[in-house]
Amino acid sequence: MAKPLPGRVVNQIRLLRFMADEMTQAELGDRIGMTRQTVAAIEAGKYSPTLEAAFRIAQVFGKPLDEVFQWEG
Amino acid sequence: MAYREKTAWLTLGCMLVAYAIYFSLVLSGHVGPRLLDIIWTFGIIASIQAILVIIGHVVLALSSGAEGRAKPDERDRAITRRGRSAAYVVLLTGTIVVGVVMPFSDPAPRIVNTALLAIVLAETVSYVLIIASYRRGWHG
Repeated sequence: MAKPLPGRVVNQIRLLRFMADEMTQAELGDRIGMTRQTVAAIEAGKYSPTLEAAFRIAQVFGKPLDEVFQWEG
Repeated sequence: MAYREKTAWLTLGCMLVAYAIYFSLVLSGHVGPRLLDIIWTFGIIASIQAILVIIGHVVLALSSGAEGRAKPDERDRAITRRGRSAAYVVLLTGTIVVGVVMPFSDPAPRIVNTALLAIVLAETVSYVLIIASYRRGWHG
């Protein structure tokens, strides 16, 4: 099997929260069914959410998925 | 610190203290060789540990407010699965040692205590991984 290309998922959640009237991590967590700590972990790049959760986050901000999450190779 | 990380610390701490006491008693010869002696001593220590963990969970849940009442989310579940998967390997190894190797060479009390040790080690690995995953991040 070929070795996967190095890289990581980055996101714009902090910026999008700021633009959404400084939405708190807890508020975002409530809207997507996650704890504040999980939102903080996603935001800090310490946890990569499932595809479903990523779509839910993008839906909260009214953005397409690739404006919220990007692959940084 | 996340509520579930706190409960993992609590469970791990209580477990390590409780079973350190139990295995110290076993190694120092304070637990008799009969099965009833082992069950009695282990039962008392396990019951005290369980009561302390339950009380601790209630206190943590009350002091954590809504977070303490919230169901585990996908990250919590992924972290728990990771801990359980590693614990399964430890428990499986322990089961092979206890059930396949030791019956040919060791007396019954040692087999029983080794089985209990395997369970404690498996749980310890599970909670250590859970705590490490909360602290250092989880990339599933």
